[in-house]
Amino acid sequence: MTLADSQTLLDTEFMARLDQLDLLSRKVLAGKLKGERRSKRRGQSVEFADYRNYVVGDDLRFIDWNIYARLDRLFLKLFLEEEDLSLSILIDVSRSTEFGNPGKLMFMKRVAAALGYVGLVNYNRVVIAAINDRVESETGFMRGRQKVPHMIEFLQSLQPEGTSHLAGACKRFALSHRQKGVTIVLSDFFDKGGYENGLRYLAGGHTDLFCIQVLAPQEIEPDLQGDLKLKDIEDGDLAEVSITQPLIKRYKANLNAYCLGLKEYVTRRGGAYLFTSTAVPFDTLVLNYLRERGLLG
Amino acid sequence: MNWPSFLNLFTAAIAAAVAIPLLLLLYFLKLRREEKVISSTLLWKKAIQDLQVNAPFQRLRKNLLLLLQLLVLILLCLALARPMISYLGSAGKTTVILIDRSASMSTKDANQGRTRLEEAKRLAGEIVDSMGRDAKAMVIAFDDAAQTVQSFTSDRVALKRAVEAIQPTDRRSRLKLAFQLADAQMAFLPEQNRPNKEPPDVMLFSDGRVADADELSLKGMLKYIRIGQGDTPNIGVVSLSARRNYERPTEVQVFARLANFGPAPAKADVRLSIDGKPSRVGSVNLAPERWNDAKWLQKNPGKKADGFAAQDSVEFTVELADAALLSVQQLNNDDAMPADDMASVVVPPAKSLKVVLVSDGNYFLEKALQTLPLKEPGTLNPAEYEAKPPEDADVIIFDRWMPKVMPQAGAFIYFGSVPPNSKLSAETKNGRVVTVNNPQILDWRRDHPVLRYLSLSKRAIAESLKLIVPLDAQVLIDGSEGPLMVLYREPQRTHLVVAFDLLQSDWPTRPSFPVFLNSAMQFLALTSQSNARESVAPGTAPTLERASIMQADPKLQPISLLGPINATVAIPPAGDVTLPALDRVGVYQTNPPIPPFEKIAVNLLDENESNTMPVDVPPGHIGTMLAVGASDSRLDLWWWLIACGAVPLLMIEWWVYTRRVHL
Repeated sequence: MTLADSQTLLDTEFMARLDQLDLLSRKVLAGKLKGERRSKRRGQSVEFADYRNYVVGDDLRFIDWNIYARLDRLFLKLFLEEEDLSLSILIDVSRSTEFGNPGKLMFMKRVAAALGYVGLVNYNRVVIAAINDRVESETGFMRGRQKVPHMIEFLQSLQPEGTSHLAGACKRFALSHRQKGVTIVLSDFFDKGGYENGLRYLAGGHTDLFCIQVLAPQEIEPDLQGDLKLKDIEDGDLAEVSITQPLIKRYKANLNAYCLGLKEYVTRRGGAYLFTSTAVPFDTLVLNYLRERGLLG
Repeated sequence: MNWPSFLNLFTAAIAAAVAIPLLLLLYFLKLRREEKVISSTLLWKKAIQDLQVNAPFQRLRKNLLLLLQLLVLILLCLALARPMISYLGSAGKTTVILIDRSASMSTKDANQGRTRLEEAKRLAGEIVDSMGRDAKAMVIAFDDAAQTVQSFTSDRVALKRAVEAIQPTDRRSRLKLAFQLADAQMAFLPEQNRPNKEPPDVMLFSDGRVADADELSLKGMLKYIRIGQGDTPNIGVVSLSARRNYERPTEVQVFARLANFGPAPAKADVRLSIDGKPSRVGSVNLAPERWNDAKWLQKNPGKKADGFAAQDSVEFTVELADAALLSVQQLNNDDAMPADDMASVVVPPAKSLKVVLVSDGNYFLEKALQTLPLKEPGTLNPAEYEAKPPEDADVIIFDRWMPKVMPQAGAFIYFGSVPPNSKLSAETKNGRVVTVNNPQILDWRRDHPVLRYLSLSKRAIAESLKLIVPLDAQVLIDGSEGPLMVLYREPQRTHLVVAFDLLQSDWPTRPSFPVFLNSAMQFLALTSQSNARESVAPGTAPTLERASIMQADPKLQPISLLGPINATVAIPPAGDVTLPALDRVGVYQTNPPIPPFEKIAVNLLDENESNTMPVDVPPGHIGTMLAVGASDSRLDLWWWLIACGAVPLLMIEWWVYTRRVHL
């Protein structure tokens, strides 16, 4: 792993700006290790959380003696626990992601790198998985700034291959990573089997789901003309079309409806959705859009 | 206007035969598409499906495109065929439309089973349609008379209505009156009195068969539009006569001649009907009349078949004592003109006789005469007769009296006497008449109308004259001592001589006697009037004499005319009554029957009118001919086909194409 390699995904100046950011979770989740984030658990931080009645066996150190003096009853003082946050980043590496200029995969890698960096720097547990119709590869849990080169190397090594099948891949991932935390899915979500099944595994009470749909400008505004045989890059499926204005109009309407459907699906399940074109500068996306959406703060 | 004809049909057919299958072939070929890789066909397929769902007529639209292209191609091929419409020259500023409505114009040989008159009316309607805004026209309908149906007007609706209102007649065509009428009407037009005037157009719609072609003159510019086909079959009765046999007046000989105006020889059965009941059938074998036409033969050499056994007339003989209507009808169905297929004659009813008996008194004879339907049986004694012989008697009976003077003409019956100063006389000896006693009847002419159905055997005759019979006399009863009844005709007189005195025989007491008397009366009366009444030509308006009407119906009620034309004629306070013109052929009756027009037969019997072959030159060689189909103006239509048909279709096709999506 060289610096130049890492620079193609993240440059130093950008990393410096990312240092000031931290991952936010809209849900307060329980972590695994001691960390810097408030947890659902009651523990030993300085932040007061609640009182409760004393039961035999409780640590006498946490009894609020002032109250005992006033009421002559024993109450226990509870404090919030601070734990780490688990961040899972799923990056779609199916062959459809190589399409577009600028390419979708590269864009997604950079977003993943930025988010992963933020996660590592803030001492969260970060796992990055490449998915297509299954979990192609994954980093395993990483923690701390020292894992950044490892992460970058992993991202660099990703190549587009396979077909999209979110349901299978997400199921596998969800089963093997049961910890609570933030899950970010980076994909174009063009799945002929439907995205619903896959996202159902990821969304739920224990994760904060964040879907980022990345599309190339050529997909948003097709620059096609004439009588064409359109070939699906993943499965070689053919569609013979004669490009006409009504057809383009209909395609755009369908795309819009598709994205809206995805957004609604994710939001209904307590997640967040972000649509982006690869034409959008990715630092703008990370520094502005993701902050606006509450992923980073 | 005619249907379009094509100048270049063959080329167009070849072009269509090549281009249309080629277009269909192109439709079977698949479009060659450029391959393009995209990230996912998911949304594209969905879009296509959506469009197809939104366009329920998608498949139809695909076919619609083919259909439109086929239409464009067909229109282009049609344009290539160079369609054109021939039409009659348009009407000029002033036009006189002459429409022939004579019998020959009822021939059904125009397109779609129309008659010539209907075709003429249609063409005249086109002329009216082509009139300019300020053009004037008038309409004259003519047969052997001419009638202004519409005087000069610019009102096209009125002109068309006038043309439509023209009804056919069965009359002959004569143009002279029509031309005179046209000239007279044109003279009234103020613009015709200006210098440098343009003579008006006279459009003549006719088949050219006019009777007075040699007498015509016209000031206007005649354009003759020939109506009708040259090869229309028509067999017509062209002459008919019925005549009583001179010798046997109850026998009527009917003679009819037929003519074939069709293009080929034809056979026809000819039926004789008596009072509408079929009686006899004969047949004719007719050569086409055009074989006798030198001009036609010149144009069509070799068309005449030599050695054709022609039989163009039929003759029927029928027994007819009473009045009857005889009709002759040709039964060949291949005939386009019905007016000349039948002709009729009226044989007058048996005349009611005026009989005078000259006798000293004969009970039997007087009684017998009273039983007969006679006009006014009168009795004179010989002295009265000699003093003033009756002039108007049809039959005079001399009973045992030989007159000294005789009327100039008439029929006479003698009983026991003979005519004076005649070759038929009684034998005398020494100035006395020789008589024979008890003559026996040996034989009699049973087939003679006078003696038909009589039995004269066993008659007892006491005494009879002995007759000297000239050679040209006809003996009706032979007796043992010489002839007992003789019929003898002199140029103006007919004598029926019975050689014996009735009172000297038992005949008057027998039933055969009044029968004989009746037969003898009819026979003698018919002898005086042997011809059937002639028929009249279509268009005749018979005049009924007031005296006849008074006699038939003293109340003078309106007279009904029944027949092909029905009418009721009121009788004016004074004068004779003229019936309306009998324009259609057929038999008419008057009710009440007014003699001599109880029945009126109207027959065409005109070879010129029956001739259905149209004449190729304008009548009287005036003006020019515009035969239908060889019209003087032509309008090319290909440009219109492309401008109004193919180009809009092409635009629609493009629009459909751009709106369309297919997989």
